[in-house]
Amino acid sequence: MNPRLLALLGKELADLRRNPGVFMPAVLTSVISLALPFFVAVVVPYATGEQLSDSGDFQRATEMFRSRPLTSGLDPEGAVQAFVFQQFLVLLVLGPVAASMSSAAFSVVGEKQARTLEPLLATPLSTTELLGAKILGAFVPALVLTLATFSVYVSATAAFARPGVFRALLTPEAFAITLLVGPLAALAALQMAVCVSSRVNDARSAQQIGAIVILPIAGLLVAQVAGSVVLTTGLTLSIAAGLAVLNVALLKLGVALFDRESILTRWK
Amino acid sequence: MTPLVAARGLTKRFGSRVAVSDVSLELRRGETFALVGPNGAGKTTTLRMLVGLIAPTAGVVEIDGRPAVPQEAAARRRQIGLLTEAPGLWDRLSVRENLVVYARLYELAAPDTTVDAALERFGIRDRARDPAAQLSKGLRQRVALARTLLHDPAVVLLDEPTSGLDPESARDVRALVRDLASEGRAVLICTHNLDEVERVANRVGVLRTRLLAVDTPQALRARFFGTRVRVLLACDAGRFSGLLRSAGVSDVRVEGPTLSIGTDGDPIAATPDLVRLLVEAGAPVEDVRRETPSLEQVYLRVLDESP
Repeated sequence: MNPRLLALLGKELADLRRNPGVFMPAVLTSVISLALPFFVAVVVPYATGEQLSDSGDFQRATEMFRSRPLTSGLDPEGAVQAFVFQQFLVLLVLGPVAASMSSAAFSVVGEKQARTLEPLLATPLSTTELLGAKILGAFVPALVLTLATFSVYVSATAAFARPGVFRALLTPEAFAITLLVGPLAALAALQMAVCVSSRVNDARSAQQIGAIVILPIAGLLVAQVAGSVVLTTGLTLSIAAGLAVLNVALLKLGVALFDRESILTRWK
Repeated sequence: MTPLVAARGLTKRFGSRVAVSDVSLELRRGETFALVGPNGAGKTTTLRMLVGLIAPTAGVVEIDGRPAVPQEAAARRRQIGLLTEAPGLWDRLSVRENLVVYARLYELAAPDTTVDAALERFGIRDRARDPAAQLSKGLRQRVALARTLLHDPAVVLLDEPTSGLDPESARDVRALVRDLASEGRAVLICTHNLDEVERVANRVGVLRTRLLAVDTPQALRARFFGTRVRVLLACDAGRFSGLLRSAGVSDVRVEGPTLSIGTDGDPIAATPDLVRLLVEAGAPVEDVRRETPSLEQVYLRVLDESP
């Protein structure tokens, strides 16, 4: 990897280690995202003594999951749990997005406010390297959080759900959502935030742009739970491909929008 | 000898506002050039154009005789060290980490060794592990200076390097500036501190959007004040001004017991005749010295006399 980009990325990660509070909203979002499906599929039935499979609403889910080879051995309650856990997988994507937003939004604005940007721009660092380091500085922790969250999710499902339910999370769709759609969505969100961060004087303005990415993901979750959309492997990969294209376009846009002169002369 | 840095007709407009107009200057190896001027005169803008942070609206910058082009901006920045007005340190990172990041940004062959040497040179080795946020203003400036010189630049541009520093820290910075020039670097210093200019600069440029005057401090004094001799008498000096005028000395000013006498050429050569004339006329001469206006007086006169 480019040594200058690596140098600045190292600084970004060191800065984050010294200021872990920046990452707390993301961790909290992930914890809530993790807890919610367990609350719905495990805690509520346990507390009320009513099985989710008793509800006719989950009939289709039960049939769908019991027809699949990985989960064919599940009992009706296990099939409903598998449905819930897989649907909520999309929610886990929101944690990394939130993680990336708080640090990405502050990335360039923060350098401006601390007056550390001008010495940085006076080095041979190119705009692509600068933005690349800023983006990766937010993305790497987000990716780590995604992987950690997914591991905990699968482990907790194995521990607390009906036997065999966790296998529903080890499907190609689940991996595609977690390892492709989630990180790519996070990357797109933080690229937007970095773009905006380089054009504004206030990190809050940059943070708000994340809603552009978060809202479609939330919409996808709702549509999925409502049964309007079924995330097949093909659809998931198509979304991932669309996000990859969006990311390339955003990087080019970010470099084009990063105007060193305006940043130095119009911002005090 | 080819100047290390040359600006030719540099002009910068921000919309309809002209920040810098037609500035031409040269920086040679081993020279310290001071750019002075009021706030908003365009000093920082000029510095930024020299380092390639902003593009001139007109004019060119030459580095070592070659026109600086945007495509070679990275190469240009390797030759220049810029100390910005604010130290610009990452507060949460230690002093050492701050420097190591920059050593790597410049892709130095041995970043750790270079940083160790810089810590030693600037007397900040014992604070290397401290977060930058814990440093005093003087120490922050030292770290920023160390950062500016990490890549051993041939050209060093310093924007207000002693602004806000205590006298001891300012003295250390001035000593460093002198060292930089003696090492053969070209140093350009932007400052409001004219006393500092007097101490470190070989040449001075007075900037107010355009360069109003450029020369050595001595030459600027001679140009804007002429050469004068001050004679202190033990009585009212007005009694002897007429004597001098009748002897052909036209430029005589009386300030209480002091006569300020303008000389056409070398004041040292003219002084014995002036003193003899006064003493023979019975003037009680107490002290005679060459009149040296402060650089501040010169600077203010340059500004006053320029449209």
